[in-house]
Amino acid sequence: MRGLAPLLAVGVILLALAASRLGTYPVYLMSLAMINIIAAIGLNLLTGNSGQISLCHSSFIAIGAYGSALMTARFAIPFWLSIPAGAALSALIGALLGAPASRLRGIYLAVATLGFLQIVQIVIEEFADVTGGVRGLTIPKAEFLGVRVSDYGRFLIVLGCCAFAIWTARNLLASRVGRELDAVRLSPHAAQALGVSVRRVRLGAFALAAAYAGLAGGLLAIVVGFIDPVEFGVSASLRQITFIVVGGMGSVGGAVLGAAVLSALPEVLRPVKEYSDVIYTLILLAFLILMPHGLITVWRGAMRRLRLPATGAVAEARR
Amino acid sequence: MSELLAVSNLAVRFGGLVAVRDASFRIASGEIRGLIGPNGAGKTTVINAITGTVRASGEVLLDGRSIGGLAPHLISRCGIARTFQHVEPFDTLSVLDNILLGVGRHAPVPFAHAALATPLARSREREATREALDVLERFDLLPFRDARAADLPFGVQKRMDLARALAAKPKLLLMDEPTSGMSESEADRAIAAARELASSHRMTLLVVEHNMRVMMALADTVTVMQNGSVIAEGAPAAIQRNPVVVDAYLGEEAADAVD
Amino acid sequence: MSLTLALQLAIAGVSVGSIYALVALAIVIPFKASGVLNFGQGEIVTFGAYAALVLTQLALPYPLVVAGVIVLGAAGGIVIERLLIRPIVKAPEFTLVIATFAIGLLIKGMLSIRFGDSPNTIDGPFGSDPLVAAGLRFNPTSLWIFACTALVTIAVMLFLRTTRLGKAMRAVSVNPEAARLMGIRVESIYRWSWAISTAIGALAGLLFAPLIGINPEIGQLLLRGLLGAVIGGFTSIPGAVVGGLAVGLLETYSGVLVGSAFKNLVPFVLLMVLLVFRPQGLFGAAEVKRV
Repeated sequence: MRGLAPLLAVGVILLALAASRLGTYPVYLMSLAMINIIAAIGLNLLTGNSGQISLCHSSFIAIGAYGSALMTARFAIPFWLSIPAGAALSALIGALLGAPASRLRGIYLAVATLGFLQIVQIVIEEFADVTGGVRGLTIPKAEFLGVRVSDYGRFLIVLGCCAFAIWTARNLLASRVGRELDAVRLSPHAAQALGVSVRRVRLGAFALAAAYAGLAGGLLAIVVGFIDPVEFGVSASLRQITFIVVGGMGSVGGAVLGAAVLSALPEVLRPVKEYSDVIYTLILLAFLILMPHGLITVWRGAMRRLRLPATGAVAEARR
Repeated sequence: MSELLAVSNLAVRFGGLVAVRDASFRIASGEIRGLIGPNGAGKTTVINAITGTVRASGEVLLDGRSIGGLAPHLISRCGIARTFQHVEPFDTLSVLDNILLGVGRHAPVPFAHAALATPLARSREREATREALDVLERFDLLPFRDARAADLPFGVQKRMDLARALAAKPKLLLMDEPTSGMSESEADRAIAAARELASSHRMTLLVVEHNMRVMMALADTVTVMQNGSVIAEGAPAAIQRNPVVVDAYLGEEAADAVD
Repeated sequence: MSLTLALQLAIAGVSVGSIYALVALAIVIPFKASGVLNFGQGEIVTFGAYAALVLTQLALPYPLVVAGVIVLGAAGGIVIERLLIRPIVKAPEFTLVIATFAIGLLIKGMLSIRFGDSPNTIDGPFGSDPLVAAGLRFNPTSLWIFACTALVTIAVMLFLRTTRLGKAMRAVSVNPEAARLMGIRVESIYRWSWAISTAIGALAGLLFAPLIGINPEIGQLLLRGLLGAVIGGFTSIPGAVVGGLAVGLLETYSGVLVGSAFKNLVPFVLLMVLLVFRPQGLFGAAEVKRV
């Protein structure tokens, strides 16, 4: 997509400059928001584009987090290798899940992903000597060439990865890969008749979503410095889904919008923390009932009104 | 003329119901074959069996190569395209995107290239777009290029369905009731376009039709089915006079009249 | 394993399985009638447990607590159906799945706020002194749970077969359009199926509470109920009950045979295997949608 790369570059520079003026805590929040964006982009490709429900997206964030953290802790692999490796591991497991899951539809798929989520949670809890179990895992500080990476440095890493995620996802959706994802959701029969292997696309979507989630997980580990398994349960998966529903499913812009807007919520909700689960679900329900296509439709509506030639032709043909 | 499609002893069962029993026919390359028959004859099922959408027993040879049992997307890649009786557009995608899905399959973009927008990916996309725009132009769809497929009037959707199927330049095009829902003049234009396509692109057509007038004007040879079996085959004029065929249709009309 | 141990485990398995059977039943009833799978059913059970707690703390006699929980459960179901399900009943499957999930989490969140996270408990109606018969120890609460489950199952099956409302419900589950043409008020049927389902779910919460305590995490048993429903074939009522019992037995036996680390994994691995290879379970019709 032509205009995107320079736009992203400008955005990155502006954010980097802005963050250098801000204190540690706002920078930390922005890092978390961008991590949410990366994960939301992945989930959107799976659910919004290829049309497959996944209730276990947070499990892939977990796999990326634990995977990269353990590689660093146990094998002294530096973060800039362990994080991509964690994402790759997550993608592999995503493909393993996708192989059977891509054959399921609707509630059966939902139940299968829910089962997978539970399996991952149980594995995390039971193999406590490796994962730290329910007490969580402390991450060694990220180091580059022996020097500890500062908070600002970690922010820049997350910023770079977020821009990369947005850029690659947008490229994919603008290419045949993206069209096939949509085709498989909209009409599997027509897609097959055009030579698209529906199974392979669906499986690929699982792996792809897991890759983005795994990246988000690896970044989460070094930003927070601690992995808490509670963050990877059903509520977390539902929160991921809330991001893409609120933003608008099927587009990168929607995923970014939803994740960015809702990431501000925990801060706003700090005085009423116990109510955060309730508020999240109310927001989700409100959007599902009232604005199921998300906030991005407001933008799209304006864009469509500008596409006069096509609408004119449609009106002509109807007469 | 060589034989493009050879169907032998095709049979399709859905549980206890026999939809197609022992159908056999051969289609020569470049031929326009009509497939007619009263309701429930199994015509659409035959199409679905050839495209691999339903499981069938028997033999289907395309250009001498057996395609029975292959996955539908692989069968499509062998050079078979189809249109749908109830159009199946990718409804939230634009007309251009619909056609692009028909086009690009011959030169797919490797995943990594697509993700990183490499020069290879970009040039493939440009080529595919050029081809797709060409198809749009030939089918008078250029004004609709950015319109959502779901917003189109039905006749235009049908045209898009056909354009999308042809964008892949298939050897064999299966058309399932292409003129259903069309007005008489629209149907005439569609027939003319189909004939022109078949001859100019050396394409072979197998057309399922309910509209007799369309069928007789379009087809070189007609195969008639009833209750899952082939009951007659021949030139359109001969078929129209064939007592077995008349009986099959009269039976249907009589049943309709009783209702 | 000695016979006594095996039988003792079977007793434990059946009592736990009875709860799963009730949950499976509660899931399958509205699914059969309206095609909606209530992923919040686990939290309905939690709700039932807390309702039982409140009613017990009001010093109501046990039969009134039971009645109260059932009524509250049904009422809750009607409210949910009216406010949250009805607006989206025509929406794509994704919306329904996520919405029911969200409703569940909403209920759980509200219960957490109201009651806090610390566990509570109530006593079973017949005390906890085990009865001994034929060399086996029976927990009276377990017997009571099993009896209730059997009663509910029989009641549901009789209801569907003999009452007008039940037959209407069966008609709607087979073909809602035809049912509507026959004059059946389909929306009313949906509402009833939800009410029955949430009443059963709440009852399960009441019954289970003396055994496992009352805390917001009870809803986790949803998956075991789902597994029961899958084993039974999603649209089979007796199948759901058998499936739930099977899950209970499976869980109890695997605890002994496989060790506690893997015991929890067994139901979920089984679930995945079933979904891939035999989604229609043991009793379901083999026409699960696949492309």
